[in-house]
Amino acid sequence: MDPLILGFAVVNGLLIGGIYGGVALGLSLIFGVLRVVNFAHGSLLMVGLYTAYWLQALAGIDPYASVIFTVPLLFCMGYFIQRVIIAPLIWRESALVVEPLSALLLTAGVYLVIDNLALMAFGPDVRSASTSLDMPPIMLGPIPVNMQRFIGFSAAILAAIGLVVWLRQTRMGRAIRATAQNRDAAALSGIDVPMIYAVTFGVGTALLGLFGSLLATFIPITPNVGLSFGIRSFIVVVLGGIGSIPGSILGGLVIGVFEAIASQFVPATSAAILSLGLFILILLVRPGGLMGKL
Amino acid sequence: MTHSISRRGVLGIAATMALGSKAFAQPAEVVIGWILPLTGVSASVGQQTRVGAQIATDQINAAGGIKSLGGARIRLVFGDSQSKPDIGVSETERLIQRENVAAVAGAFNSAVTFPASEVAQRYKTPWLTMGAVKDEITERGFEYVFRLNNKAIYDAREQIDAMDFFKKETGKGPKTLAMFYEGSDWGRSHAANVRKLAKERGYDVVLDEAAPPNQVDFSSQLLKIRAAKPDALIVAFYTPDQLLLSRQMMEQRLDLPYGVHSVGGGTEDPAFYKAISPRAVAYYFVQEDRQVDALQGVRYPEYDDLEKKFRELLGYNMSAYGAQGFATMYVLKDALERAASSDRDKLRDALAKTDITSGPALYVGYQRIKFDEHGQNTFAHGAISQNLDGQRRTVWPAESRAKDIKPIWPVPAFGARS
Repeated sequence: MDPLILGFAVVNGLLIGGIYGGVALGLSLIFGVLRVVNFAHGSLLMVGLYTAYWLQALAGIDPYASVIFTVPLLFCMGYFIQRVIIAPLIWRESALVVEPLSALLLTAGVYLVIDNLALMAFGPDVRSASTSLDMPPIMLGPIPVNMQRFIGFSAAILAAIGLVVWLRQTRMGRAIRATAQNRDAAALSGIDVPMIYAVTFGVGTALLGLFGSLLATFIPITPNVGLSFGIRSFIVVVLGGIGSIPGSILGGLVIGVFEAIASQFVPATSAAILSLGLFILILLVRPGGLMGKL
Repeated sequence: MTHSISRRGVLGIAATMALGSKAFAQPAEVVIGWILPLTGVSASVGQQTRVGAQIATDQINAAGGIKSLGGARIRLVFGDSQSKPDIGVSETERLIQRENVAAVAGAFNSAVTFPASEVAQRYKTPWLTMGAVKDEITERGFEYVFRLNNKAIYDAREQIDAMDFFKKETGKGPKTLAMFYEGSDWGRSHAANVRKLAKERGYDVVLDEAAPPNQVDFSSQLLKIRAAKPDALIVAFYTPDQLLLSRQMMEQRLDLPYGVHSVGGGTEDPAFYKAISPRAVAYYFVQEDRQVDALQGVRYPEYDDLEKKFRELLGYNMSAYGAQGFATMYVLKDALERAASSDRDKLRDALAKTDITSGPALYVGYQRIKFDEHGQNTFAHGAISQNLDGQRRTVWPAESRAKDIKPIWPVPAFGARS
């Protein structure tokens, strides 16, 4: 293959892969701590995208500036979903972990409700937000790097680093890690487990608020846009290692670059099949995922 | 679901009992079913069609209904296909079995129309195809299936004819073509026709790529197009993917000397133009299912009413899909008048004898509607528009061109545009 085209493919793959990883961060965090597979993950990203869109359409706020609204809003939504909808299920379970199936079905219900509410409220039309900032692509040699995607990519890396530091260094972070290790032991040590769960869920969805604002400038926004991100996030998280923050980014990069290169040889449809093949292959060798503990 | 149906059933019985014999004095009602993508990827198109069909129905009812049936009213029932074949099929069954419709129209997506019209054929219920172009829909020997609009082969021929024509006009034209299209029935059947025609007319297809629906990134595929260096690009995408593609092509400054040639779908959807920057779609060639410049010649008062209401309800001007929904209802009205019955077989026979040469049924821009033995309207045709100064203006056929319009051919590169 032409080395220039290969370079192009790698750059594109890294950018989009980093974004996949960033979007999957929250899913990984929530699963790692609560053991809840959040099926509504993509839908909450959709809420973030629409919030950014409407802030621009109604109040003229640039999508990049709307971060200060979308992040707290999505945090509150996540906090509320955990406190009101998922928590009762968790307290009914006497075992240490929630039966994955019942939590999955519950969040699948949340996903259906959110997506259809969005359809009712916003209608089926495709929308798009645009930033007023003029951002010409930066040139990496002969390869143009799209700035909006580069910002999304950088935000993913920074968010992952920030999350790791927060979990390691702060009291809240330590409490979250303790709860993830053993819920009952954490409770016995005086940790307010219901609050930790709600905050974890809130942080996981707040990240979607961030990416909602950052992606709104280049993703077509429809009420069911979340689904394509939701499914890919699952793959990314499992590939990278469930609950591993760096694993989420690494998983995203692997999928992104692999698909970008593979689709230069086969149609993109088949590239997606190949990336799922790669996914199975990696899990055969490392069942815990790339960065997961066995 | 069962709940609402049984409740409705109970209400129905109650209403019948309450009305008693008075019910028979009311003019009868003809129920027409529509299968449309009211939610999902093609939802904006489905809603436009629904609004068009509803306005036509209101007009027909307000003007006294079906006169040969004693002023019978038309009532529409809608089934939402969500653009999914399996749901389209089960909704078609529901409309035919439970709602007892006289005929079904729909369903825009070829992938839905193909199996759903087979259900209609099985139950001997007339099916009036709207929007779907897949050739085989009217090539299965189904006597209950009709199609008003173009087949895929007409669409492809119009695109290639236009290129040939511009070449003849200017002495310049593309030698190599790339095709990039959505990977379901519509895109694939269009691509197969272009492939065939390109070979006959001496174009070299250098890239032939399908994409699954609802993409979030086309970088890889755009890179492939860049590497293949085609002179022109033929695309077939529904609205969300078309939006992504057009945006990314502008961001990456992917230039094609003889432009982007879209066969409709997203590029005919007003919702698409509301969401995209005019710069991204400048000089696009679109194969239109409706005359985009103001309809020439005869206009009927129905049109002004339609266009006004359409704008009020949806917030943008009339689209090809609204027009098709509107016209389909007038074709059905014509057949119902002649059949003087809502019996499915009689309606089918009347539809087969359709020969309309005037009136609002021709709103889409056809000169005549007459079905061949396969149920295809052989007088269906489209036009090719080019996006000039933010407006889609007809550039082909030459006789439909306005006096002040001249296609820009070849198209300027992104860098050279003002």
